[in-house]
Amino acid sequence: MSLVQRPKPIANWFLPGILSGMGLTFSKLFWNLVTYVGGNRRIPTLNYPEEKYEYSPRFKGNHVLTVKKDGSLRCTACMLCATNCPADCITIVAAEHNDPTVEKYPISYQIDVLRCVFCGFCEEACPVDAIRMGPEWQTPGLNGASFNYDIMQLAYRPQLKGGIASVVDEKERHEAGI
Amino acid sequence: MSTNTIPCTINGKDVEVKEGSTIIEAMKANGVEIAHYCWHPGLSVAGVCRMCMVEIEGNPRLQIACNTQVVKGMKINNTSDKVKDAVKWTLDFHLINHPLDCPICDQAGECGLQDQYMHYGKYEPEMAEAKVKKHKVVDLGPRVVLDSERCILCSRCVRFTDEVSKTNELGIFNRGDRADISTFPGKPLDNNYSMNTVDICPVGALTSKDFRFRQRAWLLKEHQTVCTGCSTGCSTKVFFNKEGLFRVKPVYNEQVNGHWMCDIGRDVYKFVNKEARLFDAKVSGKGTGAGNGLGAEWILPKRAALKVGETLRANKGKGVALVLTGQHTVEEYDALLGFFKNDLGSDRVFHWVNTVGGGPESLEAFDGLLLRGDRNPNTAGLKESLQKFGIKTQWKELLEGLASGAITTVVVAGPENQTFFPDFKAKVVELSKAPRLIWLTAGKNLDLDNLTGDVTLIPLKSYLEKSGTFVNHAGLRQKIAKGLTIVPNALSLTEVAELFAGREIEAAESCSSIGVGRVQNEATTVRGSL
Repeated sequence: MSLVQRPKPIANWFLPGILSGMGLTFSKLFWNLVTYVGGNRRIPTLNYPEEKYEYSPRFKGNHVLTVKKDGSLRCTACMLCATNCPADCITIVAAEHNDPTVEKYPISYQIDVLRCVFCGFCEEACPVDAIRMGPEWQTPGLNGASFNYDIMQLAYRPQLKGGIASVVDEKERHEAGI
Repeated sequence: MSTNTIPCTINGKDVEVKEGSTIIEAMKANGVEIAHYCWHPGLSVAGVCRMCMVEIEGNPRLQIACNTQVVKGMKINNTSDKVKDAVKWTLDFHLINHPLDCPICDQAGECGLQDQYMHYGKYEPEMAEAKVKKHKVVDLGPRVVLDSERCILCSRCVRFTDEVSKTNELGIFNRGDRADISTFPGKPLDNNYSMNTVDICPVGALTSKDFRFRQRAWLLKEHQTVCTGCSTGCSTKVFFNKEGLFRVKPVYNEQVNGHWMCDIGRDVYKFVNKEARLFDAKVSGKGTGAGNGLGAEWILPKRAALKVGETLRANKGKGVALVLTGQHTVEEYDALLGFFKNDLGSDRVFHWVNTVGGGPESLEAFDGLLLRGDRNPNTAGLKESLQKFGIKTQWKELLEGLASGAITTVVVAGPENQTFFPDFKAKVVELSKAPRLIWLTAGKNLDLDNLTGDVTLIPLKSYLEKSGTFVNHAGLRQKIAKGLTIVPNALSLTEVAELFAGREIEAAESCSSIGVGRVQNEATTVRGSL
């Protein structure tokens, strides 16, 4: 049930509304000017890009595909992330790996990041800690195509310095008899 | 088999069951759910999985339902706590050595273990020992891959090769937790029914090489149809999503195929996929926009058919011949024959008989199980329609007509599945002697593309895109329904006949499409060109 609040007839008298709104704006302007001059800043806005905001470590930014200890992709191409994705922005093409202990791996993993809503459902669906949401959010591109991230961008971009290691290790699991 | 029924009680409900049936059959017949792995209605009883435990009144211990016959007045229960507990811990035993491969396992989503764990299991595993490691990715034959770690030794596949295909390639080797499904040295699993073992495998131990890793089971939709691979006409379902068709599986049909289908029939989806299809009508030769035989004009199929119909009717059917193959539905034959007979008054209709196995005697070949030498779904239907319209022609009359110049225009309702037409190229050469050739085809073909002269190619719908009737070798009429759209502008022969006669056709009703609608990441190809 939603409560609909219809505008009261007083709302037709728009002049009081304008005046109260302008009053708020000018009082903020006045106090901001006074405090700015006084050096005691209380303005919530930042002078981007000179000043940057520190986000919490749980911030959901650009995706990272984690790697195994040998540097190869952790992803097994199970497509649970693509199934779970509400924006339908993940495209995976699976293939057979030469190594029978690996068996299945993605030859193509693409995220259409302009379609992505950064909900983090892919991260939650992943059974092997292969995809994580990283801290980056300033990712400009020259044209639309540069927002369709592939494996090179997702797992091996320069900022990741050779890749982020996954916590799930197949060999350890294998030796532990799982 | 006696048809007498006997009374018994299943879960407190009094029912009548067939005399001589086992408890599991009685339960299935009455719609009672029961856990099972090794029992399959099409195979013999093995009784190895011990999952189908039931409690029988007056019996101190639980019994397996698959190997116990129902007797008069038997009181059976499979909902008691004792049964539930037994099933749960039997499942734990099955899963002792089963690897956690679900993310990479093709069976995930349609797996017996997953389903039954969620239904009957949900226990905390009490096994402290490490799992026994076995062979992974074992190549059993040209079409099947084995993962012996995932196998729960239900022996369904072994019984299948023993009882149904009677080829005996598979066996269980070693004992205890080292037991392993495998083939004998130098004898791969290579029979025409090998993929049925993949279907009946309740886990992901046997997987199909063709389907392996291409899609996940839950991303596919299914559509029930009739196999067009031969004149047996097995009931099948095709699995598809917007990227295309991926596999074919059998559907139980007591009258035709039972539980099985052959491997040849599983390949028939390939010629329907959009990579293999003709999308627009191609008009080449004199008088086309492309010039004098130098190129071709691609136009809407509907327009091409109307144009062809105009010239056919202008000549009053003089010198027109029609070639039909046994790959279309009865309704289509009737419509097209009706146009030729009634509107054009032409009797020159010819049946293009294809023989895969060599001579005409191979048409009668039968492998004893399902596959027949006549690789057309509707030869019987075509013969029926030809008889109905009183057409008795020989192929050599067509050749004589072409040689003497009596036949100037040939309309060919070409095969959908060109792989079953080994003489396709020869027939193209033969028929292209006609001054004017109109070839209706579902699939692309290089031989047809290379034809110069006055040639019109019109794309046809495949068997998944139209409704109709197929008549199988035994005269059984089976309806097929339209399930999906692959080539949006393609025509069925009925529509072609309507357009030839100069009548408008109704717009197609919408249904799920392949390659139409939003494709993943489609926008980026456009964005990339900024």
